Amino acid sequence: MPFRAPVKDTYRKKSPFEGLLDHIGKVRECVHILRGGILRYVDGEFEGFHEIAEKVSELEHEADLIKGNIRAHLPRSVLMPVDKRYFLWLLREQDAILDHAENLAQLLDLRHTVIPEEMRDDFKEHMNLVAATVEEMEKAVENVKDLLMTSFSGRERDETKTYIHNVHKKEWEADQKRYAITAKIYEMEDEMDAMDEYHLLKIVDWIDDIADHAENAADWLRAMIAK
Amino acid sequence: MIIILVIIAIFAGLYMAWNIGANDVANSMSTAVGSKAITLRQALIIASILNFLGAVLVGKHVTDTIQNKIVDVAIIADHDLMLGFMAALLSAGVFVTLSTWKELPVSTTHAVIGGVVGFGLIEGGINMVKWRTVENIAASWVISPIAGGVLAFIMFKIIAATIFSNKKPADMARKIGPFFIILTFFIIFLSIFLKTRVGAMLEYTTWEFALMALAMASLTGIAGFFLLKKITGEGYDIVEGLFRRLQVMTSCYVAFSHGANDVANAVAPVAVVLMLAWKEIDAIYILAIGGMGIAVGIITWGYKVIKTVGGKITALTNTRGFSIDFAAATVVLVASKLGLPISTTHTVVGAVIGVGLARGLDAVDLSVIKKIVYSWLLTLPASAALSILIYRGLIILF
Repeated sequence: MPFRAPVKDTYRKKSPFEGLLDHIGKVRECVHILRGGILRYVDGEFEGFHEIAEKVSELEHEADLIKGNIRAHLPRSVLMPVDKRYFLWLLREQDAILDHAENLAQLLDLRHTVIPEEMRDDFKEHMNLVAATVEEMEKAVENVKDLLMTSFSGRERDETKTYIHNVHKKEWEADQKRYAITAKIYEMEDEMDAMDEYHLLKIVDWIDDIADHAENAADWLRAMIAK
Repeated sequence: MIIILVIIAIFAGLYMAWNIGANDVANSMSTAVGSKAITLRQALIIASILNFLGAVLVGKHVTDTIQNKIVDVAIIADHDLMLGFMAALLSAGVFVTLSTWKELPVSTTHAVIGGVVGFGLIEGGINMVKWRTVENIAASWVISPIAGGVLAFIMFKIIAATIFSNKKPADMARKIGPFFIILTFFIIFLSIFLKTRVGAMLEYTTWEFALMALAMASLTGIAGFFLLKKITGEGYDIVEGLFRRLQVMTSCYVAFSHGANDVANAVAPVAVVLMLAWKEIDAIYILAIGGMGIAVGIITWGYKVIKTVGGKITALTNTRGFSIDFAAATVVLVASKLGLPISTTHTVVGAVIGVGLARGLDAVDLSVIKKIVYSWLLTLPASAALSILIYRGLIILF
């Protein structure tokens, strides 16, 4: 027998923010796994990288399902404590991090490029900085939970902003590293096979793309929580 | 012949009361059950007892309005009046069944008012209906959800500004909580004293009653202070834990107000029929029967509804539930004191939206507003038309 209880239709069981947190969780997990794989790859240990690339694809797909689910359950008439457009842009940029992680993993798996020994530490540092950018981004999004709980109190807003600031800082450091690596590659271009050089440039760019999208996501988050 | 009418009226009235208990209790208690402030069993006990008390202690004003202030009862012949209120009751019954079947947010209150207006129109024409009262009632339908929304917005903003922005939110909640208790009980006591049978027996002036209510409320506030002090710790979870206790109180408040306002939908038409049939009859017994009917509805069927609705709602924390319950109950109780029959459900929905606008809820679906506006526009004319048809039928029969 049906009941008449319009109250149940007014607020929903599943919060879109829960989905957002699930999604960033997948992003962090994915980048974490990829980082482990790349650190070994840089050392020339290609064994097992295929499995990591597959795992990354799997996580990307899972996150896609979460994204689709959030979008599907966000009708036009829904009232949210934040601007819905910013929320969707944030989600989109989070998703872009995963897309680039997946592309990078697949590319590395297609051609096992040996990285010259004198660059290995730079590549590792770069990867660590990029992963740190994503980790700070996750902390910022995680803090949205407290922001919602306190109805956007100044204290929690400041905390989120601190994480966002950290994202920018790490991303800037990653950029510096990327320029340094690129410069080194060009310096060594006479000793290198053209295809290798092309591939190295590609790798460093694509690793850096992950940090760029984490930064974009941070910008949308900043806009989303603005007063 | 009259005895048959009386029996039909009593059964129809009981059916309405049962329905109000069974269905509407979900809208008033589901926030408390959904936010786990109280268990299902507690909700049923609280709701049935306090609905009954609200109906008996404060339910008379709204009942009077429906009985005497919508149509000019003095002019209409007794027999026609009985049949007219029977028609209103039956048409409201059909609407309750229809809205339950189709899950529409149609209000029992609106259907009863529409029914009475319909019979008044056919019996004596345009002038028979007291349009001023009907206008006031119709205005209250629009105002009550808005008032619920505004009050819930303010309550939640107060909680956010004082408690959540504080470095020690739980400490602040322990300090502010007792004032919320005092405010709630002050309103409840005042509603029981002013212009009621209890108040008439005590024979004090309004100001003396206000002072008494304040003194009694302060005592509950002090008791509450010590109760909240027992919950130690700091952090947002502790704040919610403190408000879980406060929400037990506001759930009672909602149930009480619901009884006060909604019992009239079931008993007002029955009271007219009984009074005309037996002349001398005490309204308190009729209110008590209505209150019992609501309580039975809650116990026999309400649990299923709360279970379903409560299960679908979990995204509500206790500070939000508290704001919604406090706002809705206050608006409904004030309306009851003013003799305005309003929809509890619509007021609760308004309060939910108010908290949503105060950035308190993750997602509020505003499409429910559209449905409610449709139900406003449709219920009154439709139930008036239905009441006219039933009235014509009853005239032929009796």
